[in-house]
Amino acid sequence: MSRSDVLVDADWVEAHHGDDGVVIVEVDEDTSAYDKGHIRDAVKIDWKADLQDPVRRDFVDKAGFEALLSARGIANDDTVVLYGGNNNWFAAYAYWYFRLYGHQNVKLLDGGRKKWELESREIVTDVPRRPATSYQAAEQDASIRAFRDEVLSAIGQRNLVDVRSPDEFAGRLLAPAHLPQEQAQRGGHIPTAKNVPWSKAAEEDGTFKSDDALRALYRDEAGLDFGRDTIAYCRIGERSAHTWFVLHELLGQQNVKNYDGSWTEYGSLVGVPIEVGDGK
Amino acid sequence: MSDDGCGAPRGGAAVPAGAAGSQAIVQGRVTQNGSAVPTGYARLLNSGGDFVAEVPLGEDGGFRFFAAPGTWRLRVLAPGGVRAERSVSADIGQVTELEVAV
Repeated sequence: MSRSDVLVDADWVEAHHGDDGVVIVEVDEDTSAYDKGHIRDAVKIDWKADLQDPVRRDFVDKAGFEALLSARGIANDDTVVLYGGNNNWFAAYAYWYFRLYGHQNVKLLDGGRKKWELESREIVTDVPRRPATSYQAAEQDASIRAFRDEVLSAIGQRNLVDVRSPDEFAGRLLAPAHLPQEQAQRGGHIPTAKNVPWSKAAEEDGTFKSDDALRALYRDEAGLDFGRDTIAYCRIGERSAHTWFVLHELLGQQNVKNYDGSWTEYGSLVGVPIEVGDGK
Repeated sequence: MSDDGCGAPRGGAAVPAGAAGSQAIVQGRVTQNGSAVPTGYARLLNSGGDFVAEVPLGEDGGFRFFAAPGTWRLRVLAPGGVRAERSVSADIGQVTELEVAV
């Protein structure tokens, strides 16, 4: 796996968005951006309505994922290129999710919607019509998803990477600073976690930093032991999907899991250890 | 507890009813020659220059952050290589307003 296997740039998308076997997908929590304008030929996936179970806190099941991709006209052998707002957080989450259900050929548009907009590239409102497919998903790949008991047993044993902002890590904020600070869970972080904010992996235009810069960030500056297994978390698992992408897909680290329960689950558990204060 | 996402809506999230007194709000509008800049991004940085949060500008060029008390940097990015930066302070119970002309 190398950078060119998992990332494409805007020029590539402009040249290939209409090709047979290529599907461009915009993914976000707030899909009003798609509705106002998107990359030509892109279909949309709503992070909440399409990817989350409407009752339980969990993903849509295998049959639900198959129905979603079939309805969007995505086939098993299509190359899926994901992009979105919020510096590709939700697109990276969807990337991880596509991998979880076994889709092989999936890539991110480097820089996502932000770089595309800042470069004043074409935005259209036409919604493409794609014929339905009969998508077949695999069973969930448990090797890339962490649950709470595994996270608890990883304290002091594996790399735990908290990718939230330093103020969230320290417990001074309970959510990113673009959201109201009204949450029920306790503030702080999982003991022994290193704080490497997702934003340190990205340039200002939303593109990923170079492999060398990323390796220096996690291994040399943060002191991650690349010989150990790693679990990444944030507040709900989408910023940590961005970091999972960096560690697993760009840097080729084995045994990296995303804990999608993240702080909204951990910070609400009774009796678990919590540390507050800045990173060491 | 909300398990809603962490995404930043255009222009920033609305202030929940009755919550203004407990928040340290930084909000404003980006303009160019007096008109709103509807495409672009506002980034909040801490005093050390590290990234804290980002919202896409609203149709009216607006942005809003819910910061912690302290001094922050606000950076604006817009098409055409436009960049602007301002210093801003925030405190609980206060709404700090600023207009950024680029």
